[in-house]
Amino acid sequence: MNSRRRGFVLIAMSIVMLLLLAVMGLAFDLGRVYIARNEAQIFTDAAAMAAASKLDHTPAGIAEARQAVARLPMRWNLGTRDFTGVVVEFSPDGVKWQGDPADASSIAMARVTAPNNVVEITFLRAVGGPASFTVPAHAVAASNPVRLVE
Amino acid sequence: MRKRESGHAMIELAASAAVMLACIAGTFEFGYTFFVYNQLVTAVGNGAKYAATRPWSARDTEKTNTAIRNLIVFGEPEPAAGAQPVVAGFTPENVDINWTVEAGKPQAVAITIRNFTVNAVFAKFTFSGRPGVEFPYVGSAK
Repeated sequence: MNSRRRGFVLIAMSIVMLLLLAVMGLAFDLGRVYIARNEAQIFTDAAAMAAASKLDHTPAGIAEARQAVARLPMRWNLGTRDFTGVVVEFSPDGVKWQGDPADASSIAMARVTAPNNVVEITFLRAVGGPASFTVPAHAVAASNPVRLVE
Repeated sequence: MRKRESGHAMIELAASAAVMLACIAGTFEFGYTFFVYNQLVTAVGNGAKYAATRPWSARDTEKTNTAIRNLIVFGEPEPAAGAQPVVAGFTPENVDINWTVEAGKPQAVAITIRNFTVNAVFAKFTFSGRPGVEFPYVGSAK
């Protein structure tokens, strides 16, 4: 009886700690995942706008669109990491997308994808969660956007 | 013998409760701070999109910046009196707006948070220079 009672607090506590670990994982890891997702989406929004604003129906415009995306200083993971493997594609109609379009004269839209944003999971993996979480984002912009007027 | 045992249990409970409370406090601290950070990322992103598409003129830069700051902090360019900021303690002074102007036309707008302190009860975190975004200017400049 006595020896049975001795371990009770420890066992109860370890079960509670495991649950707590799961809650910590939800708060800490999912918090970071949501922030990364948000940062990636805003980056691709800006990048697509930057690319589309450079399109002028010439191959030079397409090269400039790529450079405009590369020049954006935005970062992710709480503003600490650069975006890598960013894909810029172009399209005349929003249906057929090409990385390197042969006919630049008809290109009117740009699509930017940031596919490599891998958030490492810290706590959730201890209770059976994944080791990492990828939060890709993409955005499309046209070279003739709707503008606000005063 | 019995008494000594229940004392043991008390010490065990006290030790594990201390660890547990620290974990709960930490969870709240980081959870709340991440929540606030996420709100700031969203607010700054929305503000930058607004800034990038809004009409711009060199004369009215201050007026434009005020509207952008209000949109970021209160969710609208012209907030009603007594409007609440998107996160507690957030003021227009925490928003830095930087226009890149070439030949009288804006090329890009960078928006960053400056010296914003999150009060997460158990700890305080100050963000300066992040979150930050840069958008190309695509609106009509006068």
